[in-house]
Amino acid sequence: MTLDGKVPAGPIKEKWDRHKFEMKLVNPANKRKHTIIVAGTGLAGASAAASLGELGYNVLNFCIQDSPRRAHSIAAQGGINAAKNYQNDGDSVYRLFYDTVKGGDYRSREANVYRLAQLSVNIVDQCVAQGVPFAREYGGLLDNRSFGGAQVSRTFYARGQTGQQLLLGAYQSLMRQVNLGNVREFARRELLDVVVIDGRARGIVCRNLITGAIERYAGDAVIIATGGYGTVYYLSTNAVNSNVTAAWRAHKRGAFFANPCFTQIHPTCIPVTGEHQSKLTLMSESLRNDGRVWVPKKKGDTRSPEQIPDEERDYYLERKYPSFGNLVPRDVASRNAKQVCDEERGVGESGLAVYLDFRDAIQRLGVETIEEKYGNLFHMYKKITDEDAYKVPMRIYPAIHYTMGGLWVDYNLMSNLPGLHVLGEANFSDHGANRLGASALMQGLADGYFVIPYTIGDYLASATLPKVTTDHAAFKASADAVQQNIDRLLSIKGKRGIREIHRELGRIMWDYVGMSRNEQGLRTALTEIPKLRDEFWRNVSVPGTPDNLNQSLEYAGRVADYLEFAEVLTLDALHRRESCGGHFREESQTADGEALRDDEHFMYVAAWEFKGVGKEPTLHKEPLHFEEVHPTQRSYK
Amino acid sequence: MRLNLKIWRQANQTASGRLVDYVAEAISPDMSFLEMLDVVNEGLIKKGEDAIAFDSDCREGICGACSLVVNGTAHGPDRGTTVCQLHMRRFKDGDTITVEPWRAKAFPVVKDLIVDRSAFDRIITAGGYISINAGGAPDGNAIPIAKSVVETAMDSAACIGCGACVAACKNASAHLFMSAKISHLALLPQGKVERRARVVAMINQADGEGFGSCSNEGECEAVCPKEIPISNIARMTREYFRAMLVRA
Amino acid sequence: MRVFSSSVWTKILIGLTGVALFTYLVIHIAGNLMVFFGPDVFNNYAYVMEVRNPLLPIIEILLLLIFLLHIYKTIRMYIDNQAARPVKYVKKKWAGTPSRKSIASSTMIVSGLWLLAFLIIHVKAFRFSPEYEWPAGGRDLYRQEMENLSNPFMAGFYVLSMVVVGSHLWHGFSSAFQSLGVDHPNVTPVLMAAGKVFAVAIAGGFMIIAVWVYFHSGGRVRV
Ligand SMILES: Cc1cc2nc3c(=O)[nH]c(=O)nc-3n(C[C@H](O)[C@H](O)[C@H](O)COP(=O)(O)OP(=O)(O)OC[C@H]3O[C@@H](n4cnc5c(N)ncnc54)[C@H](O)[C@@H]3O)c2cc1C
Ligand code: HEM
Ligand code: HEM
Ligand code: SF4
Ligand code: F3S
Ligand code: FES
Repeated sequence: MTLDGKVPAGPIKEKWDRHKFEMKLVNPANKRKHTIIVAGTGLAGASAAASLGELGYNVLNFCIQDSPRRAHSIAAQGGINAAKNYQNDGDSVYRLFYDTVKGGDYRSREANVYRLAQLSVNIVDQCVAQGVPFAREYGGLLDNRSFGGAQVSRTFYARGQTGQQLLLGAYQSLMRQVNLGNVREFARRELLDVVVIDGRARGIVCRNLITGAIERYAGDAVIIATGGYGTVYYLSTNAVNSNVTAAWRAHKRGAFFANPCFTQIHPTCIPVTGEHQSKLTLMSESLRNDGRVWVPKKKGDTRSPEQIPDEERDYYLERKYPSFGNLVPRDVASRNAKQVCDEERGVGESGLAVYLDFRDAIQRLGVETIEEKYGNLFHMYKKITDEDAYKVPMRIYPAIHYTMGGLWVDYNLMSNLPGLHVLGEANFSDHGANRLGASALMQGLADGYFVIPYTIGDYLASATLPKVTTDHAAFKASADAVQQNIDRLLSIKGKRGIREIHRELGRIMWDYVGMSRNEQGLRTALTEIPKLRDEFWRNVSVPGTPDNLNQSLEYAGRVADYLEFAEVLTLDALHRRESCGGHFREESQTADGEALRDDEHFMYVAAWEFKGVGKEPTLHKEPLHFEEVHPTQRSYK
Repeated sequence: MRLNLKIWRQANQTASGRLVDYVAEAISPDMSFLEMLDVVNEGLIKKGEDAIAFDSDCREGICGACSLVVNGTAHGPDRGTTVCQLHMRRFKDGDTITVEPWRAKAFPVVKDLIVDRSAFDRIITAGGYISINAGGAPDGNAIPIAKSVVETAMDSAACIGCGACVAACKNASAHLFMSAKISHLALLPQGKVERRARVVAMINQADGEGFGSCSNEGECEAVCPKEIPISNIARMTREYFRAMLVRA
Repeated sequence: MRVFSSSVWTKILIGLTGVALFTYLVIHIAGNLMVFFGPDVFNNYAYVMEVRNPLLPIIEILLLLIFLLHIYKTIRMYIDNQAARPVKYVKKKWAGTPSRKSIASSTMIVSGLWLLAFLIIHVKAFRFSPEYEWPAGGRDLYRQEMENLSNPFMAGFYVLSMVVVGSHLWHGFSSAFQSLGVDHPNVTPVLMAAGKVFAVAIAGGFMIIAVWVYFHSGGRVRV
């Protein structure tokens, strides 16, 4: 089946405006009568719930944390892009659009990306009006920085806490709507099923994480904004409770999962110190502006770094990419780090790290300058590793950071399952095969503040939505299925720890479906994952009771879903025999080892349809057309 | 390392709790405090025993979920550090560590080390926002704001809503948390419009939730992972004064 | 009082009454230091301040009201604050700098109640006690003071109470300004230091008076 992205007609610059005009509106008096369910309170979920509340809809909003303010978006550091061109350095909506399509390695939908670039401008205005304390210059105007290798300065930031400040802005707007009675907030609720009635998403089933009660909520439309699935790799920079559960359960009800193999790996994270590690901490990319990346030339060189003379060091990025050097894009830097570690030239106890050395920068610029620029990062590094990066080089290693794949949505952000809308990192939409720095925040807020308020109105005004209540048989069936799944988990009473199995899954994913993938490895993963899934269902131990706060049960449910989801991710990686963006297939590389796209065969979105656990899903394709930006091969030599 | 733990276990909000002894073995100094608890929990889970419940999410000091009183100090002994960023190298082999939940009437224990902090959400709901709808915002540069003002606002806005200030205060007062939000918004031109109504509504809400008043002890500032100073509390008082004296 | 019942009004009122009481103490110690200059000066001072002062009743009533308000608000707040933490910590430690917590700050209610007890005894002894005539006009307050403090237990109680006054002000002085919203990077450190200096000076001053009077009272009473 060929999927239709429902891209409006017309020139790219006019599509959204025209579409806005053509969409149907809901009569203001009727808005109150429509209930909209929003799962997620990250940038996407909170902004959507708040905006829909402002319009007068009756909104029910859910999150798994104890407060909507703690959604994982809070952790974003670097900043948010907007094509304001305040710096007069040649930025424009078109340039942001162009950079994003190119950065995504030509695997995104042009019209969506253009709309995103257009809306970026409004987002910053909106956030300033909400009181987000973006950094400013002495004259009182907004400051910008250049981020992620962009050639213009278009990134707005609030110290190293941009995600936090943007989320608090959205959260405050959300709380205002709670005060006004337009939004009802349900914290510590986990979405465990989407209820489909007459082919439309009409409600959800949740577990109340405090009482354990299985609760049902009915509505006219369901929005999923539950974030990315990076924790399928166990170790990632994501929050430890991030999960694919909501998206996966929706997938099992018919929503297609698009491009799951598009995962992003960030090159500068603090390396793993041992088995016990529960997450990885990101160190800002900006460090590569002054730090030099190297490993010893000799295999298994265990000398301490200062004892290794310059001629025995391999500054491999500078050697291989003379023009970009240490500033090559994330995927290139990550892959090269893996490569040198595979050659047993990695450093540190585990051998899974490379040096990021500031010795020369300190000599050239002085300690003070380095401290001024990176003091907080050095401090954080010290806190975690107990090492002083002014004296010894930092050790860094790549880690899973973001997932471009997600539930398939059309231009209106609605999945193939009518009524089910998907926003933020949970959808696959705008970043193609690779996301540029500072554009996830932009996408989440664009979706929530400025896209969904229009498109959902169109859906509600066009669809016939007979009233349903939670007594409907479909609700009962869903709730029963959820309950059975919970009972089943609790009845295994095996010997293995949940974390242990999750860690094992992570290792399989990282080794075979990580930074560099090949057919053989992917096939190995496809035999290992079902084995591990069986082991889980036979031998995991989930203590406690269902009718109480039970974190083991929550965790087990999420790991169980990952054990199913991992297979689709791997399958997607296997089927896509090309290298593009974050997806590197060893079979598809240029003579000098760089990623090689195959536009002839793979210029499409791969959307998978669920056919049963352990059964091969069906592939649907949405062909991609590039009318504005013409695909070229990336090169950083 | 081997550590003796005394951990508060409480089945639910109404049950009575007590400190239970555990031994944490093979603890590496590189572990974070929460990873140490993960190890203990993994052991319990394998034995089929109920794991120790505690909140955490980002594990990098920004979400504000983690909330443990370690040896009598909220977030443990390191200054400006959440307990998820506290590392075990701070302790010695054989140490005894007592772990308790935040304790306040307004933060009832939900289970073990998890408390219900929804009172904070209700304080924000009462007025901790700027009333504008999506769309129609003026250009971001329409109102210049002095760098120093934004920086001070950002210092206050950095609050992660963890509640350590309440946990540490002898009066279980929410004044630092509240004053951080009130300061953040009152300092910015966009937030000045509603400053009077905001401060009154938020303070009334906090009082109604059962938080205490403030005796200016500054324990809150000392444990605050974002090192938010109590000068914010003084600013809140001034805001309140203004709200009482000058009618909008 | 409902309008003034919010946690911030509570602070403002305690701060205001605290500053007023502090001011009274400064005036009070200034007056009492006259005792070193002998009965003539001291009694004359009392005469001018009390008999010749038409505002005295008003001041006294005002002072009483301030005391009552201070006491009512602080006790009420203490009870509410206790209720805000129904389950205590098993283990609780001082959080370290920049915390202002001290033994003094943790025992404000104890020092306050002690002061209340002291005040009852003190005011009874000085204000509502049999009076001696002073020939030049007014009361012979000098003699009264000598008599009151000639008892070693009484003198001891006074000395101890002055430690308590010092403790109350050690935290109370700077706290009152913070309660009133007075805060500035340049001013706050000065207020913090001043609070400690005042606490020691006032407590020390009263203590010296009490000790001095005790040792002088021997001769005086017998005459
Ligand atoms: C360390 C780090 C730094 C980053 N820095 C940047 C940056 O500088 N710039 C940038 O643009 N991007 C950055 N990103 C990426 C960006 O932060 C995320 O992509 C984005 O915030 C995702 O937002 P979201 O709203 O889609 O989801 P999230 O913020 O992940 O929110 C998910 C929400 O869904 C809820 N939820 C989850 N599961 C369920 C369930 N089963 N039932 C009910 N509710 C559920 C959660 O409670 C939460 O409220 C960074 C990411 C990381 C990890
Ligand atoms: C001459 C006598 C007194 C003086 C000069 C005095 C002064 C002060 C001052 C300056 C403060 C600080 C106010 C603030 O923090 O806002 C204070 C606080 C306090 N006073 Fe007094 N006071 C006196 C008597 C009393 C008495 C009789 C009581 C009896 C109960 C009392 C109880 C308290 C308490 C409990 C506090 C602490 C308030 C807090 O925790 O913030 N005081 N006092
Ligand atoms: C060594 C210590 C002190 C000495 C020698 C002393 C002396 C006196 C004297 C002589 C009087 C009588 C004045 C009069 O009736 O006109 C008096 C009254 C009084 N003193 Fe003190 N005093 C001391 C400490 C204190 C302290 C610490 C306080 C407050 C906490 C205090 C509060 C009062 C009050 C409230 C009165 C009554 C004032 C009035 O009714 O006008 N005194 N004191
Ligand atoms: S003020 Fe500090 S301690 Fe209090 S909630 Fe905010 S961050 Fe936590
Ligand atoms: S510790 Fe408590 S007393 Fe005030 S200054 Fe902080 S709220
Ligand atoms: S877990 Fe997020 S702040 Fe500690």
